[in-house]
Amino acid sequence: MGANQRLRQRTVWLLIIILVVGFGAVISRLAFLQLVQGEDLQQRAVKQQLSDTSISAKRGTIYDRNGKVLAQSASVWQVVLSPINFEEDSQREYVATQLSQILSLDYEDVLEKTKENSYYSVVKRKVESNERDQVLELMNKLEDEDIPAVIALLDDYKRYYPYSELASSVIGFTGSDDQGLSGVEYQYNDYLTGTPGRIITATDAVGGIMPFDYSQNVDTIDGNSLVLTIDETIQSIIEKYMQKGIEDNDVYNRGVCIAMEIKTGEILGMATVEGYDPNDPFTISKEDQKMISSINREYLYENGYLDETSTASGKEVDKLIDQAKSEAESAALSKMWRNKAISDTYYPGSVFKMITLSMALEENTVSPKTKFVCNGYFQLYNEKIGCHNTAGHGTQNYTKALCNSCNPAFIEIGQSVGEEKFWEYYQAFGFSEKTGIDLPGESDDLFFSEDGTMGPVDLAVASFGQNFSVTPIQMITAASAIANGGKLVQPHVVKQILAADGSVVKNISTDYKRQVISEEVAKEMCAVLEENAINGSGKNGYVAGYRVAGKTGTSEKLTDSNGDFVQDYIASYCGFAPADNPEIAMLVFFDTPLGGNYYGSAVAAPVFANIMSEVLPYLELEARYTDEEAANVDTTAGSYTGLSVSEAEKIVNSDGFDATIKGEGTTVVAQIPAAGSKIPTGGTVVLYTDDTSINEKVTVPNFVGFSLSDVNYIASYYGVNVSLTGTVNSSDSVSVTQDVAEGTLVSPGTVITVSFSTSGIND
Amino acid sequence: MSTSDLRRESDRRRYSSERYATAGASSNRYRSSNAQPKSTKRKKQFSLLSIGKGLDVPFCMLIVLLLAIGITMMFSASYPVALSEIGDSYYYLKRQLLFAIIGLVIMLAVSYVDYHYFHRFSALILGVSYFALILVLLIPSETGIHRWIGIGDYGIQASEITKFAIILFLAHWGSRYYDRMHTLKYGVMPGATVFGTTAFLLLLEPHYSCIVIVAILTVLMMFLSGIKVKWLAVAAVILAVVVLILWATGLLSYAMDRMDGWGKALEPVGEEQIQQTWQTRNSLYAIGSGGLFGLGLGQSRQKYLYLPEPQNDFVFAIVCEELGLIGAIAILLIFALLVWRGIVISLRAKDRFGKLLGIGLTSQIGIQVILNILVITDWLPNTGISLPFFSYGGSSLLMLLFQMGVILSISRSANIEKA
Repeated sequence: MGANQRLRQRTVWLLIIILVVGFGAVISRLAFLQLVQGEDLQQRAVKQQLSDTSISAKRGTIYDRNGKVLAQSASVWQVVLSPINFEEDSQREYVATQLSQILSLDYEDVLEKTKENSYYSVVKRKVESNERDQVLELMNKLEDEDIPAVIALLDDYKRYYPYSELASSVIGFTGSDDQGLSGVEYQYNDYLTGTPGRIITATDAVGGIMPFDYSQNVDTIDGNSLVLTIDETIQSIIEKYMQKGIEDNDVYNRGVCIAMEIKTGEILGMATVEGYDPNDPFTISKEDQKMISSINREYLYENGYLDETSTASGKEVDKLIDQAKSEAESAALSKMWRNKAISDTYYPGSVFKMITLSMALEENTVSPKTKFVCNGYFQLYNEKIGCHNTAGHGTQNYTKALCNSCNPAFIEIGQSVGEEKFWEYYQAFGFSEKTGIDLPGESDDLFFSEDGTMGPVDLAVASFGQNFSVTPIQMITAASAIANGGKLVQPHVVKQILAADGSVVKNISTDYKRQVISEEVAKEMCAVLEENAINGSGKNGYVAGYRVAGKTGTSEKLTDSNGDFVQDYIASYCGFAPADNPEIAMLVFFDTPLGGNYYGSAVAAPVFANIMSEVLPYLELEARYTDEEAANVDTTAGSYTGLSVSEAEKIVNSDGFDATIKGEGTTVVAQIPAAGSKIPTGGTVVLYTDDTSINEKVTVPNFVGFSLSDVNYIASYYGVNVSLTGTVNSSDSVSVTQDVAEGTLVSPGTVITVSFSTSGIND
Repeated sequence: MSTSDLRRESDRRRYSSERYATAGASSNRYRSSNAQPKSTKRKKQFSLLSIGKGLDVPFCMLIVLLLAIGITMMFSASYPVALSEIGDSYYYLKRQLLFAIIGLVIMLAVSYVDYHYFHRFSALILGVSYFALILVLLIPSETGIHRWIGIGDYGIQASEITKFAIILFLAHWGSRYYDRMHTLKYGVMPGATVFGTTAFLLLLEPHYSCIVIVAILTVLMMFLSGIKVKWLAVAAVILAVVVLILWATGLLSYAMDRMDGWGKALEPVGEEQIQQTWQTRNSLYAIGSGGLFGLGLGQSRQKYLYLPEPQNDFVFAIVCEELGLIGAIAILLIFALLVWRGIVISLRAKDRFGKLLGIGLTSQIGIQVILNILVITDWLPNTGISLPFFSYGGSSLLMLLFQMGVILSISRSANIEKA
């Protein structure tokens, strides 16, 4: 082969290698990238080219059942820096000085942010309008001084709870990112949050806008609003009296009250008192703060952080103290936030007797004729199970046994039902499962065994509600089933979900679960419980004029929460009204009252009665008084001033009061009590006919420690009116407090509130 | 055609084929005083000032076409970067246009120069290129990479001269000792020596991508010159050993850094590696975004500061994004036509030197196109290979058009002979 020929041949090879192999490879590679992988690569490219700015949606409002605002988001602002736009340090220092002053932040912290190499650094969130105005002013100033855009104000929202502590454990609170952290704020977070809007623009690699019509806006959808079943008025009444109950009885571990609409399962009020302020949910109580700041070496020894024999250095001990403090603080916070109504379990105690009796009546194992004999104890094999009345209740039928809250009788009733049926009804009443209430953190019950097997002693004590634990919400749900003709419904706190424009997104209807007991049995149970509230151990819970039914409970606690080596108790009262057509059920529960008396009848029942006495009229239930009761019922005084004496006297009498006329005039110029105040029917209205007589005063006598008739007599003797509260109509009622102290000088006719109670009834 | 005509024709053919065959061996005749009449005649035809006919018009038009498309696309790719970094969208366009005009003038001027002058000065030019490679090493550099000779913004990459010098020298050698190319001494040793020396100097720069191109060009020229294929196999083995040794001694560390992200541009990587893969990744995004028809001229999004230095090595990624696969293939077809035409022209050259030189210079373009696109598509490590006619760079454009001028000069010789 000649040299030229070889050259030609090799050139052909070269051409093949370059044009066919080389260019072929290149083109196939490009085709693969552009056609096969093209979509994926383009998506990745678009992803990095699009700047996605999120606009926060306004969180929905939470209303009570009557439309009162319980939680609301209001516009605030976020102050954001674009530190990359700073040109020199003097600008950074200037802006840091100004911003730290306006926003009351640490200068060094802000300066640090101005030095970041970023376009977006949040300086402060939830800035309110006064601070925002100052920031705007600063921004204008910077613009005048030709300092580039370094500060931006972005819309933000802040959550306000106008009623502060009211229903805090139900409503919950939100965190710094507007996310619900507890209560319905947490449970319904997805509804409340809404959908943040987005502004999508094409930007170059450093955030500038590309010259393309590439922007797209997604509208913000504000969050849905919630209408709770909670009634602000009822909730306020509940919290007022619960707070009083806690103070009166020196309750160590807070109290719970749940009010539920019987037919629908709607929770009208649910309080864990004391609660917290959801506007400021991370501040613990002063006592807790004091306790935490007092943590020292001794505390470490006592709480197992440090061994007595440990040779830890001072530094290590300091570190342990810090650890103990932070642990104590989070414990205090979670205790404060805890919704005891659904998260705590307790021995239901004697309140559970209404369930035991319902089982027996439904199973027909007892009849009105069945006799139960109580000798003060029950002998079960080798065990003696005592009754609180060690003298014994003697022979009783079941109604009497419940009114006496007699343990031996209920052991017999429980035995007549048997372990198997007992477990069946326990499940049927919903104790073995969560109620499914729409709140976070509901606890499970704790029965003797998972499958319901129990020994004879277990059955005996379970009959009067000891040695197994349920939650307060389970207890009131079961009690409501009795009041509701045997129908168990699921409790809930949210009634309605509304869109931002007010249209209804969802109505939450009653979730009826099952018929637990027959209507007849339920009716009989209502009668028994009403009898108990009138004449039995539950009479401190009675409300005059309303047919209240209820049962007290005093349960032993397993733990000694306050560390005084004395048995702790939970005092509770569970009842409903009116007995003939129950509307509202309520459970009152005080954890560890240390005020001397720990019985449900003494601690919880009066609070129950106080709450009911305001709630029932509020619910516009008609009061029907017995004659005896009618005498003590308060009536509203009218306005009698400006009338002639004779005319006024006539009207006063027709209003049901006696009139006392003071002065020499012919026209009434003043009256005591004032128009609109409540005085018992038959009380006295003092009508003044001239100015001189107005200055006349009387001294308030002592009203405490007397029977009802005595109090009425004293009042008329001294020329004042008394308004009676508490357990007034019981034969053993005794006045326990008066709201105006003895010895005070008051005008004649002034209304003095005197409360009555029956002395601690054992249950 | 008369008998005498036929005879004259056959004589001429015989003669020319004789001369042709001995062209390489008798190259020193250009220096000898007793030059043959034919040679004298040709020399006259190729005198510097003679404005003759015979410029290969298709090749010329392909060059102008590529240059026009190249500058347009370079401008499209560079204007956001130019605006952002320099404040003048037209910065790169203006400079590239200026160099293109100067380059075209140089190209035309060179096409009138008898390429045999290069024959004479090939060794000298190689020497000058070595000198340039040594000189850049002496110039202090902030980055530790020594590539440029020049002042301020104006400079030339020493390796641009090197590539031309090597093609030139090997064409010279291959034509002069065409009959001894099968031997080790004449066929392999000169090429190996030239490559070895060049590679050593380039290692010191360092400029690995240029070593690769020089290696390919050396092998290509030796292959065309007619060495035995087995020597190429031996060379491959030696190369492998050398690379292994370099690898082991850590001299490849710079290239290794760049190779770290090779082929992994789309994988999620950490902060450190993203620096290395960023350019390739965004190149792939750009290419992929183009799809079949592209986003349209000027519509690239990746050029908005996502793809760093889109005017340089990665300009073709923006081409792919804006013009799509169709546009990319069209441009590659023009390149292929240019290579084809260049080789056709070269094969028409009347002497072996012209053929070898022409084919070598033409192939260099084809090879750079292939390597460049393999880099931007992440099939080769990102080591800095520019795309002829497209990538921004004054000195390389001038050098490129100078080389095109040489090929045109070769075409002119062939056409003149034919005429």
